[in-house]
Amino acid sequence: MQHGSREVRGGMAASALHDDHGPQQIQNPGLHDDFFDQMLSGLPSAWPDLGNPKSPWDASAAQKLFRIDLAGKPPDESQPEAATEGLRYASYDEATMLASRLSQSQGSGGSSPTGEAMMLQLNNHHILPAVGLSQTAVGGGVGESGLLPLPLTLGSCGAADPRIIVETPRDEMDPPFESPDHNGGEELYNGLGGSIRAAQPGTGQHFHHPQNYGGAAAPAGVGQGPAASASSGGGTPPQKQKQKVRARRGQATDPHSIAERVRLYFSRVRAGVRSIPLRRERIAERMKALQELVPNANKTDKASMLDEIIDYVKFLQLQVKVLSMSRLGGAAAVAPLVADGPGGRAGANGAAAGGNNDSLTATEHRVAKMMEEDMGSAMQYLQGKGLCLMPISLASAISSAACRPSAGGLVPAPPAPPTSAAAAAAAESPAASSSASALTVQSAAADATAPKR
Amino acid sequence: WRAPPGTRTLTPRFGPSKPMLAFRFLRALTLVHRTAANSSNAARSRRIQRAAFASMAYSAGPRRAWSRALLCRLHFHRARRRCAGRRRAAGVPRRPSTTGSPADGLRRLVPGGTGMDYCGLLEETADYIRCLSEQVKLMQSIVDSVGPGGR
Repeated sequence: MQHGSREVRGGMAASALHDDHGPQQIQNPGLHDDFFDQMLSGLPSAWPDLGNPKSPWDASAAQKLFRIDLAGKPPDESQPEAATEGLRYASYDEATMLASRLSQSQGSGGSSPTGEAMMLQLNNHHILPAVGLSQTAVGGGVGESGLLPLPLTLGSCGAADPRIIVETPRDEMDPPFESPDHNGGEELYNGLGGSIRAAQPGTGQHFHHPQNYGGAAAPAGVGQGPAASASSGGGTPPQKQKQKVRARRGQATDPHSIAERVRLYFSRVRAGVRSIPLRRERIAERMKALQELVPNANKTDKASMLDEIIDYVKFLQLQVKVLSMSRLGGAAAVAPLVADGPGGRAGANGAAAGGNNDSLTATEHRVAKMMEEDMGSAMQYLQGKGLCLMPISLASAISSAACRPSAGGLVPAPPAPPTSAAAAAAAESPAASSSASALTVQSAAADATAPKR
Repeated sequence: WRAPPGTRTLTPRFGPSKPMLAFRFLRALTLVHRTAANSSNAARSRRIQRAAFASMAYSAGPRRAWSRALLCRLHFHRARRRCAGRRRAAGVPRRPSTTGSPADGLRRLVPGGTGMDYCGLLEETADYIRCLSEQVKLMQSIVDSVGPGGR
């Protein structure tokens, strides 16, 4: 059959086996190994796919070749038949390339009989378990890019590369695959077959590549090529992953970052399922706190609540902007007062408020002392007394506008005492120690208002 | 929220320190007035706005991600000659976040919001809202107390 002839053009094992036996019948009851049975059971469905580059039986045939090579020498007649069956189904030379790869790694790998050896080989590479479980876990859409280089790198360089290749596209899948021995070989092959089936168009390209090469050496080169590209692809995805992590921090709307966040979510799922409801609780309580802050908290649903919060933040920022524009008037009013210096004012106010000086002096001293040690407690003390600190210029402005009821949150007490307090502070500053002047210095805008005593 | 060392807050645990906010803002304000009696109203209002955000961020302390991000942005822009176009001008129409999570709009508004997960983002938003409202109240009271001095 022409498929067989095409396979014959392939590598050493294939050619060697082909020399021995012609294309054999598929339905070979002599196969006693169970995964052969598995493959045989899947054979009829694979018939139309023989010419298909995406045929899953390429990989399964490759598995057969693996087994053959790992066994070292054909133990019985089933092996050449299996090999030829592999040849039947391996329409492309990558199967032979894989065989050559495995023969190379055979020396390094274990030589335990068939299935276990292969299991060990493949488990060392951590590919098939990933693939097998990925097939079960993923619908295949996500797994495409990860599965691309898998069959090609089964025999390739080292354990690191395939792991990387498997890891980076679907890194959330990896840790479950740490334990290699999943249900023996059958599941692996089924998974591999299924996943290869799932890895749709992209795999075709990789499968077509080795077609151009022939001979034993070429499969090795071919094996190197896709493996190298795969490994380079595997090398960059970790860095790209780190970059993706950085990108995630930078841009939240980037589709890559979205995918990254999806993966992050999956990794969290994998890490601890308990943490998800915990997260939800935390989110819920924070949403509740936000609802208390934001007016018009309808509590209808999350989306509208989020919109409400966004609008409120925008509103507040707009208010700051508007107030900063309107502050210009106040700024103009305050500036000349600032330029004036509080000296004259202090004198005038001091004369007016002379009567209250004593108690205020004591308070001032006390507050000054407190301010030296702890600003917060000083503020607390003042507020407890119904006083506050304010710049001298502002105090004078307030006193001039004393009729204004909304003197603002700055002045909790009625205007007169605070004004006098501040004014008294100002008044006392010429006579008092530097600590008293420190009151004005600290309360006012530093340099221009308070005179340096 | 931890207050900056050496300062005890008057407000409950969650929330800005109003006296410190007032203190810083008034100081910044007078600095602005002192140094920029020259520039136009628009430039001065921008400086005042920046001073407002700066004092807000300072009083909130470095414990909050949004205050850190805000301070970084302010220093960065000051170093770059005040690219005023980049300021968080509220009311700028943003394209709706049809793609991506609904929290994206919030991430753009809250400084430093892009690097956080949803949970932290909500907390930062709450603190940011608190500080913003305190700042607004403060500025409103200042404007009221100074009186209708006009522009």
